[in-house]
Amino acid sequence: MIDVKGLTKAFGDHVVLNGIDEHIYPGEKVVIIGPSGGGKSTFLRCLNLLETPTSGTITFKGVDITDPKSDINKYRQKMGMVFQHFNLFPHMTIMRNLTLAPMKILKKSKAEAEAKAMELLARVGLDDRATSYPSQLSGGQKQRVAIVRALCMEPEVMLFDEPTSALDPEMVGEVLDVMKDLAKDGMTMVVVTHEMGFAKEVGDRVLFMDGGVIAEQNTPQEFFDHPQTDRSQAFLAKVLM
Amino acid sequence: MDIAGLYETLSAIPAADLSGWQSFFLKFYRAWFMNGRWLQYFEGLLATIEVTVIALAIGVALGVIVAIVRTAYAQQRPGTHNPLLAVIDFIFKIYVTVIRGTPMMVQLLIMGFVVFSSSRNFTFVGALTLGINSGAYVSEIIRGGLMSLDPGQAEAGRSLGLGYFQTMMSIVIPQAFKAILPSLGNEFIVLLKDTSLISVIGGKEVVYFAQAIVARTYEAMFPYIITAIMYLIMVMAFSYLQSILERRLRASDRR
Repeated sequence: MIDVKGLTKAFGDHVVLNGIDEHIYPGEKVVIIGPSGGGKSTFLRCLNLLETPTSGTITFKGVDITDPKSDINKYRQKMGMVFQHFNLFPHMTIMRNLTLAPMKILKKSKAEAEAKAMELLARVGLDDRATSYPSQLSGGQKQRVAIVRALCMEPEVMLFDEPTSALDPEMVGEVLDVMKDLAKDGMTMVVVTHEMGFAKEVGDRVLFMDGGVIAEQNTPQEFFDHPQTDRSQAFLAKVLM
Repeated sequence: MDIAGLYETLSAIPAADLSGWQSFFLKFYRAWFMNGRWLQYFEGLLATIEVTVIALAIGVALGVIVAIVRTAYAQQRPGTHNPLLAVIDFIFKIYVTVIRGTPMMVQLLIMGFVVFSSSRNFTFVGALTLGINSGAYVSEIIRGGLMSLDPGQAEAGRSLGLGYFQTMMSIVIPQAFKAILPSLGNEFIVLLKDTSLISVIGGKEVVYFAQAIVARTYEAMFPYIITAIMYLIMVMAFSYLQSILERRLRASDRR
């Protein structure tokens, strides 16, 4: 579904991604873990071109989206993104946050967009907060709304950039539950996370990124039980203490 | 006894024999009532408001255009270099540098006596100059607002598939506007008060008429204090309107 070839990204002289070849299959749940500064988030952000790759190509369903002539807005609609800091629009109600893009881009009517939004809000247990503003919600609630906002565009892939890292510990569970639910529905997901439990439970494949490359990849079972490289062993020793 | 009668009586008395309050009254009468002079202040006031509104319209229009173009240039996707945008950005940069780097008064003198030296419409030349001046400051205020907003907001919009301008219009500008309103209000107050400078090129606003009255009556205190009070009232009224607007925009902040 997403094919990455020879992807590199440098900020000035600082090379963050150093040649990545990877393929993400439909329905697959890929979990990306690794130490800070290893390039996890940058890789994820390259997938929908929030970061412009320095070189290499990214092909989404057979179309090279790194080609400057391709209309990136069209492909971003198909790739939902959830951010570490939620990035809800603070000047709009929850309902407006959810219906803005479907109405502006998919040209849905207000009633149609709101019906879809309410249905999804109900699924994450927040249908009573439609008229609230983001500042009135807890962190966990905000992140659930952010997931719903991406889902309202009916994406084919969901990209999660450390979705629980900014949350209070007691709110992590409610967000992970929504993500697990989504995984059960067969959504293609690429998740950057520090939640090893989630990686084990939901992931089909774990990518261990360090030093701007995918240093190791395996099934979660194999990766956590028998890490192959010194770096992944050292990393797991630290995080699984 | 009516005011005019009182003035007649008191002005007949030699100045040396007047009490403090009586001479105070005489000076005020000459500065305000005599020959319907108060009408001149209001004529000037009207012109001040007119100049402010014209300058404001020019300033905001210029400021918005300059700010959006310069922000768009700074935020374009790496690799997509638009040469036209680069040229316009360079011109706007010079505009902001020149306007911010030279005094308002000098700009007025140049516009009034060099660029538009043949024009007799001093008031409009003044308004135009103020507008061009204000545009440079407004553009920097707006640019600051657009740049200061969490980049995550624009990223969230773009990640949903919204285009650059859709994201700007629906997400970035409404939030930036709320953030820059205090500085924008401040700039408008400065602009309102700077209209007093156009009297140096013959623009007929409050200060121009006050100076004329001083020249007639040889008495400076009252005309200038009246002028000061007029500006103060206008600024206070404007600040009040601004605070109402700020309160309304704060609706989404409630917790």
